[in-house]
Amino acid sequence: MSANLDKMSEGLDQLAERALGMAKELGADAAKVGTSLSFQRRLVVENKQFTLANSLESRSIGILVHKDKKKGSASLNSIDEKAVRQAVQDALALARYSVPDPDLTLATKDVATPAKQLAFQYDEPLAAMGLEELQGIMAETLVRLTADKRVALDRYEASVDVSWHGMRNSLGVKQAERQSITSWSFFGMARDGDEVTGFDYDGNFSFGKTGLAAKAMHDADVFTKKILGALKPRKAPSYKGPILMTPRAVQELLFGMVLYHAGGRQVMDAKSRWNDAVGKEVVSKLLTLKDNPHDPRLSGATAFDGDGVPTRPTTILDKGVLALHLHDCYSAKRCKTKTTGHSGGPFALELAAGTSTLTDLAKSRTELLVVDRFSGNSDPVKGDFSGVAKSSRLYVDGKDAGAVTETMIAGNFFELAQAVLGVSKEQENVSGSCLAPWILVDGISVTGNAD
Amino acid sequence: MKDVLTKLAKAQTGFVELRYHRRTSNSFVATKGRVDVANSSITEGVGVRALVDGAWGFAATADTTDAAITRAIADAQSMAKALAKARGKRDVKMARGRLATMDLTLDGYQELRDMPIEGKLGHVVDLERRLAASSGKVHTARCRYNELIEEKAIATSDGASAAVRFAQPEISLSAIAESGGERASGSKGAGVNGGWACLFRHPALEGMVDETAKIAVDLLDAKYPEGGQKTVILAPSVVGLLCHEAVGHTVEADFVKSGSVAQGMIGQRVASDLVTMCDSGKETIAGYAVGNLPFDDEGVETENTVIINNGMLASYLHNRESAAEFGVEPTGNARAWLFNDEPLIRMRNTYLMPGTSNLADMIMGVEDGYLVDGAGGGQADSNGEFMFGTGYVYRIKNGKKMELLREATLSGIAFDVLKTVDAVSKEFRWDLGTGYCGKGQAAKVDAGGPYVRCRISVGGRQ
Repeated sequence: MSANLDKMSEGLDQLAERALGMAKELGADAAKVGTSLSFQRRLVVENKQFTLANSLESRSIGILVHKDKKKGSASLNSIDEKAVRQAVQDALALARYSVPDPDLTLATKDVATPAKQLAFQYDEPLAAMGLEELQGIMAETLVRLTADKRVALDRYEASVDVSWHGMRNSLGVKQAERQSITSWSFFGMARDGDEVTGFDYDGNFSFGKTGLAAKAMHDADVFTKKILGALKPRKAPSYKGPILMTPRAVQELLFGMVLYHAGGRQVMDAKSRWNDAVGKEVVSKLLTLKDNPHDPRLSGATAFDGDGVPTRPTTILDKGVLALHLHDCYSAKRCKTKTTGHSGGPFALELAAGTSTLTDLAKSRTELLVVDRFSGNSDPVKGDFSGVAKSSRLYVDGKDAGAVTETMIAGNFFELAQAVLGVSKEQENVSGSCLAPWILVDGISVTGNAD
Repeated sequence: MKDVLTKLAKAQTGFVELRYHRRTSNSFVATKGRVDVANSSITEGVGVRALVDGAWGFAATADTTDAAITRAIADAQSMAKALAKARGKRDVKMARGRLATMDLTLDGYQELRDMPIEGKLGHVVDLERRLAASSGKVHTARCRYNELIEEKAIATSDGASAAVRFAQPEISLSAIAESGGERASGSKGAGVNGGWACLFRHPALEGMVDETAKIAVDLLDAKYPEGGQKTVILAPSVVGLLCHEAVGHTVEADFVKSGSVAQGMIGQRVASDLVTMCDSGKETIAGYAVGNLPFDDEGVETENTVIINNGMLASYLHNRESAAEFGVEPTGNARAWLFNDEPLIRMRNTYLMPGTSNLADMIMGVEDGYLVDGAGGGQADSNGEFMFGTGYVYRIKNGKKMELLREATLSGIAFDVLKTVDAVSKEFRWDLGTGYCGKGQAAKVDAGGPYVRCRISVGGRQ
């Protein structure tokens, strides 16, 4: 796949350059062209059996034009020259009927300096890995996943993807990077007689081949243990007070809200509650959140953002203090500041570990709900959230007393973020998407079904 | 393309399924007096599934020439052979069902294709301006329009040969209201399988600008509902979510095989006898549901599948393979999002049949409860536990509709909740046309129903 990638990416890059020329020729004042190419080998296991193998090659080209302070864009999955020209015309037609915006901008060469390929993102042995080898690893993992007959594995997928993506703009900015990645996901539940648990899922990734099989096996063991642990759930009490959030729940309940209010696009429209809060304490002192796009442990790692600006490690919350707003070139111009390289970001979040032990946090209430997954709705404007605590457990006197069912939680993000009682020393990688510790937060309404 | 695919499919010795799909998607977003998105996108190609020794191989090509499709067929067959060799042969049967042989253009396709882009974009900009100006308390207005203009063709080596062209436009308005440091949001939207005129005839869009602003402004002063087990009347949008999330997913045959709560329940009572629930690719109640499709992505003609008949579980949702395994006819539920996605079992238009009550009488019968409207996101579970959010709630006290309350989350065990249904209204509406279902791939679905009274768990503050 890698030889094809090199050859075809070169051709696609040249087409991007010609598309910029077409945009200029057809009257655009400025233009940006993004391109991508990927080869995928994927295997699917359904109901404990290998059922499907696929081979996909995908290409795409996206064109953004500015004309008379108005913008339009078009994209296509064809590399036919005539089709690309038509797409440029379509983008210009849309721009013609759009609304003028004096702040439209593209990255300039002084901010979008050439980004260096992240070395860990491309591994030749992984890129060369064939279907048979992938099937071998999956078959071994499948044995682990299905050793206990109570595991009802609905779907197990794994793929090897080799990809390249690039961008160019009419101001001379040019970036490209390539990636090899294998990723896997499990989806299933436990069934024991007539009892069926709720479903659960997990997944992970690797940029390289080394240690791949061991990592997949480990994930399979963790997943199996988790879904079997959901059997024989108990009823939860209703109370208002603390809950312990697992790293996955932290990601689901906390990160989205923080990013909404720290986001430059919300700030420029005065939708953020933290418009004038840079340098001020906005959440508990116990919380420090960073975005490190160069972290090899996280799948979102990338050398440059959607504007072509090189990424860099950034602290978003520093001991509760909002360190900055996350800007792309457009929101930065609107807010009269500089881009932080976050077009399409953040990319790889890490919430810093704390000083409490998980054991101590679990003892904070006689009956404590430990929330692992939040299935519900949250309103970023008001900060309210309400939903079901899925894959969650009840701890009694600090000990795991089993899974719970039909348990709902409700609260407010701004209150929750201030009411952090403790952050664990332990930190977990959440399916390769972020790193987070366990957090004990107060003031949550828990509605259980216990009498 | 239909004829090209048919010729190539017939030339194969084993089973192959060739699916051409061209999607033109136009998206516009206007907010704060500017246009954030004005994008047109075209995705086109042919997806190929091949079955060899009980293993499926899948390949796809964006190149639609005969030579490229022939190469994709060889790739798919080669992938299937490799898989069969690695894990051994398996006996896979495919139920035939009613394999489609047709060539159709659905209402609205030509209208939407021919309509100038400036008219659509201009209307989106205008709606956002009107919403922003509708109240001094509207802080942010937003209008989003998206249309999918689809051309599909399918041919299988065992006889399907069909083509269809259709359009799925959708529009949504949202507002954030602000007063005295408080903020609240409201939204309205609709989607159809049809054209521009059909979209704006959708009953959910009646007074859309004023209604959107009013919800956001009124919610500024609204209190939260109290949590607990309550008697509620669910509005059609929420009934649609209940049908889709709480029942629909658990009766998808792939999920049933894996062990969902619906496994082994055919013929058993799962709801009150007032409940008849269907999933249809050919809805005839209102004519505009998004999920109307003459055939599915395996080339099987769609039908109206009765899932629950007067309270008894009657059918699962099938593709050709699961139908053969269960010994029934395929229901036309195999769907793929793009040409390079393989078909999965998905819902289409999922709904509860209307009953004989009327809403006013149903409200009069509630001593202390809620009327719930404004469907939000939702999720189902293998054990029948569901959750979905709703945008706003009206208190009902002593048979009267009272004040507006803030959003709520509803939860329960599907078959338990459906057994508590004691009234179903005559009124009916499709109301989930802006929704996308996620199952690895997206799918454009619709859902709806009448007003339904039942007992359900409402999430709230302690």
